[in-house]
Amino acid sequence: MNEYLCHDFKTPRNDTSRRLPSSFRAIPVIFYVALIGSAYVMTMDYFNYKRALKQKVEAEERQGLSESQRDSFKNEKSNLESEAMKAEKVAEWMEGARNIQPIAVKIARAVQTETRITQVALERSEQVPANIALTIHLNGSKVSTELAAIESALGQLLYRSYSPQQTKNGDVVEYHSTLVRQTE
Amino acid sequence: MNPKQLACVILLLIIGTMTYTAQIIHNKVATTRAEAEDAESAAVTAENERATAEIETGVFKTDTEEVRRFLRSWLPAVERVQTQQEAEQTIELSLRERGINLVRSRKTELKTTAANKIIPKSVLTTLTIEEEFAKVLNWLGDIERRLPTARMKVVQITGGSTGRQLKMEVSFETPIFDLAAADAEKKKLQPKATEKAKAKKS
Repeated sequence: MNEYLCHDFKTPRNDTSRRLPSSFRAIPVIFYVALIGSAYVMTMDYFNYKRALKQKVEAEERQGLSESQRDSFKNEKSNLESEAMKAEKVAEWMEGARNIQPIAVKIARAVQTETRITQVALERSEQVPANIALTIHLNGSKVSTELAAIESALGQLLYRSYSPQQTKNGDVVEYHSTLVRQTE
Repeated sequence: MNPKQLACVILLLIIGTMTYTAQIIHNKVATTRAEAEDAESAAVTAENERATAEIETGVFKTDTEEVRRFLRSWLPAVERVQTQQEAEQTIELSLRERGINLVRSRKTELKTTAANKIIPKSVLTTLTIEEEFAKVLNWLGDIERRLPTARMKVVQITGGSTGRQLKMEVSFETPIFDLAAADAEKKKLQPKATEKAKAKKS
């Protein structure tokens, strides 16, 4: 090998570009720190993201289920309200539609044979249909006793005579009262 | 710019890109976590609403049990008479079966009440019969049994043309219930309520 060439290779060579300032040595360090930091943050974010997504989906499912159940309960309550409203209207009507025949029978049976009933009128009140205006015309010797017996008999049907009045018209005693049904 | 400086710039750019990307991803995750928390609180609210609705329904169900049972027991009687002809036929049948031959007067008319949705119509019957005491009272009991929803308005019993007979003037109202009307009215009101709720929400 040529001596000159060997010498030439071993000769220290000058830098082709200027050296960087020493503070720039931190850049690779910062790079590695940023690389590791970003990798850590992104990995943690990835797991957090997956967990959050799962939590969100579960919460939305729970919300959907709860809302459908709530709507179902509200619908059921609405139906119950409608049914209760109808029931109250029917009950209100039926309260003023109690049978009158037992009253007429009780009155007829309460009176003794020597007393004669010439008229019995039962008229339902327009304002309070549960109340019945009773008018009895009777004649006989023991009218007061008979009327007491009638009131007692009506009491068995849970009717109470309210403001009873008696007027005598010749031999006939006219009895008026309002029958009010007592609660059981 | 020499190659070393160029390498530094490239590294700085990579650092910047990595940091920016990490920040964007972090923000995205934070948004998703916030959405998850919102969904969680919405789920809790919905569960509370469900529990409240369940309690309210249960309480209402218990409170109205008796009156609803009353309706169920009366439903067959309520549905029995739905037309004026049915009411008239029932009266006719009762008079025939109870042997009431002397009907002095008889009048039937249909009354319409627009205000009452449940009972929009009723049949008003006025009848004067004359028969023996037992037959008259038995017929009264029979008609009340056949038309249990009928409301006797006036019952007047006086002496008949002979000593054994009674004359009874009776006036009663047979309601024609329309229970489906209440449901139809509820259905009409429901869309309006839904629209109002939507408007409130928006």
